[in-house]
Amino acid sequence: MAETLKPGSGPLDYGNRLWLKILFVAIFIALYAPIATLIAFSFNTDKRGVVWRGFTWDNYEKAWNNVALQEALLNSLTIAFIATIIATIIGAMAALFLWRFRFPFKPAYEGVMALPIVIPEICMGVSLLLFFIYTGMMGWSVGMPWPLNLINIIIAHVAFCFPFVAVVVRSRLVGFNRQLEEASKDLGASEWQTFWNVILPFMMPGLVAGALLAFTLSLDDFVITFFTSGPETVTFPVKVYSLVRRGVSPEINAASTVLIVITVIATIIAMKLQAPQKTGEG
Amino acid sequence: MPVYCPGFSARRRSLLKGLGALGVGLSFMSRHSLSAEEKKLNFYNWDTYIGDTTLADFEKATGIAVKMDLFADNDELFAKLKAGNPGYDVIVPTNDNLERMIKANMVMPLDMAKLPNFKNLDAVFQDAAFDPGRKHSVPYLWGTVGIGFRKSKVEGTIDSWKVLFEDPKYAGRLALLDDAKIVIGSALKYIGQSLNSTDPAVLKKVEELLIAGKKNVKVFAKDNGQDLLASGDVDLTMEYNGDILQVMTEDDDLSYVVPTEGAEMWQDCLAIPTGAPRPENAHAFINFIMDPQTEAGIAKTVQYATPNAEAKKLMDKTYLENPAIFPPAEVVAKCEPALYLGEDVTKSRDEVWTRVKAA
Amino acid sequence: MDSWRGNLRVFWTLFTPGTFWLLIFFIIPLAWMFGISFSEKTSITETEFTGTLANYIRSFDAIYLQIIWKSIWISVLATVFCLLLAYPIAFGICFVPVRWKPLLLLLVILPFWINLLIRTYALIAVFRSQGYLNLVLGWVGLGPFEMLYNDGAVIMGLVYVYMPFMVLPLYATIERLDRSYLEASLDLGGSQFQTFWKVTLPLTMPGIITGIILVFIPCLGSFLTPDMLGGANAIMIGNVIERQFKSANDWPFGSALSFLLMYVTFAALALRAYLAARSKGVDV
Repeated sequence: MAETLKPGSGPLDYGNRLWLKILFVAIFIALYAPIATLIAFSFNTDKRGVVWRGFTWDNYEKAWNNVALQEALLNSLTIAFIATIIATIIGAMAALFLWRFRFPFKPAYEGVMALPIVIPEICMGVSLLLFFIYTGMMGWSVGMPWPLNLINIIIAHVAFCFPFVAVVVRSRLVGFNRQLEEASKDLGASEWQTFWNVILPFMMPGLVAGALLAFTLSLDDFVITFFTSGPETVTFPVKVYSLVRRGVSPEINAASTVLIVITVIATIIAMKLQAPQKTGEG
Repeated sequence: MPVYCPGFSARRRSLLKGLGALGVGLSFMSRHSLSAEEKKLNFYNWDTYIGDTTLADFEKATGIAVKMDLFADNDELFAKLKAGNPGYDVIVPTNDNLERMIKANMVMPLDMAKLPNFKNLDAVFQDAAFDPGRKHSVPYLWGTVGIGFRKSKVEGTIDSWKVLFEDPKYAGRLALLDDAKIVIGSALKYIGQSLNSTDPAVLKKVEELLIAGKKNVKVFAKDNGQDLLASGDVDLTMEYNGDILQVMTEDDDLSYVVPTEGAEMWQDCLAIPTGAPRPENAHAFINFIMDPQTEAGIAKTVQYATPNAEAKKLMDKTYLENPAIFPPAEVVAKCEPALYLGEDVTKSRDEVWTRVKAA
Repeated sequence: MDSWRGNLRVFWTLFTPGTFWLLIFFIIPLAWMFGISFSEKTSITETEFTGTLANYIRSFDAIYLQIIWKSIWISVLATVFCLLLAYPIAFGICFVPVRWKPLLLLLVILPFWINLLIRTYALIAVFRSQGYLNLVLGWVGLGPFEMLYNDGAVIMGLVYVYMPFMVLPLYATIERLDRSYLEASLDLGGSQFQTFWKVTLPLTMPGIITGIILVFIPCLGSFLTPDMLGGANAIMIGNVIERQFKSANDWPFGSALSFLLMYVTFAALALRAYLAARSKGVDV
């Protein structure tokens, strides 16, 4: 029993166990060593980025002045932003009705819903390409002003992102105690008020996790975008793919470093904004 | 029932375009008429395959802003345009790929009246077997696929494909290109056949050779053999000459050779894909590239051989006399261009390649 | 669970957007491709629907089955390693003081934001023959080891790339685990191990299953990772499919192979459903 007196060694204080700390450190080193390399090499003077030759800021200047890289980055962020919003809303709605309702052919419906997760990206990319061409959307979007010409890619990204959001949100909803909902309704709240004041706060961690997942999926997607993008709608991964085949250039490392910094800041802000809301645990 | 037919969608699109033009034409002129072309151009090119100032110079001269988009290999270019042109004006296919695209009506005939600089080209390049009469293309640069190696890590002279395909001496230290056409073609040259051979018995032999030799291969390189070589991951690699020449400027220990059995000699061309939104600008751009000053600037940067006779006059000796850029006549005699052999051959070669890689 | 008839207005509001998107931008394109898998090439760019089974017959060739089998075991190994690494991470994050959680979560997800190609190239820089790991090992007199261009490297690359897919759902499930169950188990004399095995693990099973699906499936269809990290033997079914749509220019065959891959995935899903049903029967 003396054990419990020492701070941090209670039976559920797993966070303070030494083995866990060691594991954390080891895994984070493994996760970050390659990225640290990437950032370090963005300051390298060697233009092939293979051997360290000296420190410089030139790559940042070059990346900053590279119009094509800027456009690709802007396209990627725009697409990811819009696709995440749409995918999170649609995905959350799908999760809600799958969780709440019983309806005919539900298992079949769920199966179809899981398909975009299941199917190899390349099949989805090509099938969407065929679809856009056949419906004339490909030619139709080419001439539109930015960012409307990104519509094909946004549609494609939403199509593969929202089922992921639905999965994550639904696995959160499974733990919801429906008596809370009944209590809310018994106390005279409307369907909407119950949703807004009871269900939504409970869903929030799932929604944030789902949105983060959708954002990263969209930002990272190469295959589907490759098949649906044209010369005016190059995204960052597509641009990078065409550049890295001749070796990683420190210029791309520099651009990636900037992207990392932007996302870190954005995420910290998002988390800060979200933190004060207390979520009603089931 | 035709399930997939770009002809259909092209017709459909041209119908839509026609209706649109009709609507616009009632009040103004069609936006596709010559003078109305936007001052823009979409250029679809290989990476590190243009002069440092070429695009800026073109914009200065004509006011047309060029947007360059990059593809990694001919297959990517083909796949991107196969289903309809998403908006490119000028592309750079290699000879056999160009031949395939001409057969599939994926490139437009050129208007020679708008390309006065064509006269600057070497006479041998003014016609081509893969594009008779140069109706669809003009040559851009040409080169070979041979062996790049690290001089301090090899013994004796490297002059045969044997080191890549059969010799166990360099096991685990060599890379082949991840390109079915080039590897199979080179192996065909090694066993003394034409690289365009379609004989099933010969292909079977090549397949056995490649499967047996694969245990020595460290990696099939995605056109990054020069990086693997420069970083010391491999000591020998199958690569395009200019790629190796570009890393040779940074590392004296590297070298390039065309094997004595012969190799593929390729030619990249400039062409206008069907459905290009700005064909006028495309012609102006192609003509600008064939200007001796422009072409010399490109050749200096990329270290590939130029087909432009006037441009050669502006180049220095180190470029003109470099045997890795302009191979001597006896080497050229053994080299061959790859031909487009039809879809069935593409399919059977792909099956060979799948078996080699999975073996 | 309510019957859909119970509240039609809510049901249709929630039902319509997802179903619409799924139908128009997923099912129809897919059905189109299904048609192509029964088509024949008639010229370089055209195919014609003939109802042929030739593409499927070709895909049952021993070589393609062998490649599919290899893709499956590589994906299984990658998924297992992901789970073994991600579970302690997710578990740990849930049990650290609250103020550390956002930071640790961020640290897990952050690498995920960097472009997949760049991350893979970064891996190459660390693990290649003259990379940093061999440099460090060299200081203590070890190596150099050949760590890249083999199947192990492909698995490592897949684990590195898809790890966040595993951590996120696990975190979401463990986070809402009712800790009084754990306390009850420990109070009643269960050891830490027994508590984990009999209480924690079964209760977090939904998250584990979600994580496994989210990791296994993209692994199965991946082609960039084997392309860049794999050696001369690295070919997965994704690579074959990719080639059909690119260099081989054989969309009907590529479509047929894609559908074959989908059937394999369905089999995996069915297996999971069966296991989930069985484990439920034991635990409850």
